[in-house]
Amino acid sequence: MNDLKKDIKELIIQSLNLGDVTPESIVDDAPLFQEGLGLDSIDALELAVAIERKYRVTIPDEAVGKKVFSSVAALAQYVSENRPPA
Amino acid sequence: MRRALVSGGTKGIGLAIARALAAAGHEVVALYASDDDAARAAEASFAPGTYRALRCDVAAAAAVDALFAAEGERGFDVFVHAAGFTRDKLMLMMPERDFDDVVAAHLKGGFLVAKQALKAMISRKLGRVVFIVSPTALLGRAGQTNYGAAKAGLIGLTRSLAREVARFRITVNCVCAGFVETAMTASLPDKARAEMLAAIPLGRAGRPEEIAAATEWLCSDGAGYITGTVLGVDGGLT
Repeated sequence: MNDLKKDIKELIIQSLNLGDVTPESIVDDAPLFQEGLGLDSIDALELAVAIERKYRVTIPDEAVGKKVFSSVAALAQYVSENRPPA
Repeated sequence: MRRALVSGGTKGIGLAIARALAAAGHEVVALYASDDDAARAAEASFAPGTYRALRCDVAAAAAVDALFAAEGERGFDVFVHAAGFTRDKLMLMMPERDFDDVVAAHLKGGFLVAKQALKAMISRKLGRVVFIVSPTALLGRAGQTNYGAAKAGLIGLTRSLAREVARFRITVNCVCAGFVETAMTASLPDKARAEMLAAIPLGRAGRPEEIAAATEWLCSDGAGYITGTVLGVDGGLT
């Protein structure tokens, strides 16, 4: 799970071009949007696409998105519960 | 090579758009609802490897999802939604089903396919989406409340979606295709056809190739600063 969280942090930084942010500086339970990293809903689109492509999990709508993007921990939880078996 | 997805791309305006995109160097995948013969004939008319026609009900989310799953990660650089049909009746005589079916094919189909197509475009930070709409959306036409509502809906969708995806260098536009002689308009009574032509400043029907040329251009690199608009290709009608 910790590896997954680290992977996800790297994916966030890479897909959203957050060049000045390091994985270590992203707190597992801190909100990603508005507060926290200060991402907006359009950034969330890009992140949703990146997550879907990398982990083969779909974020079907905004209700799920809100929950899943609340923090790296929530995102890792959702990915590990929904990704297809390798 | 860029890949283009054209719904309704086996006949009429959609086929002309597929030809224009193929001529501009795109590999084209055309979607069609039911006419297998037209699809095979269209495939036979293209150079090998430049065009495929796939049967897909664009109004069914499951069918659209399956299509994108099968087409894989690469996705499409261009999506043109030209699928559609009319089922004209005065509104008070219109069965609920004729309203639902027309709105489903044009408006919901555009939503469902664009929603999937945008994912690869967002990843690539480049894309073109064009919805083919009609003067009926802007001017109205008796007998076309279902069609007019669906096409006007696509214009509204376009203006909002353009704002959502502009950051990813994806443009979203409509081409308002005027009166064009195709199978879809062949069933019009002569009187209605004469009235339509009389209202067109350029005084003639359009050709599918003329709609296709404008659409292809909107999909080109040169049109990268145009988004959220309705481009009238209608002889001045709107």
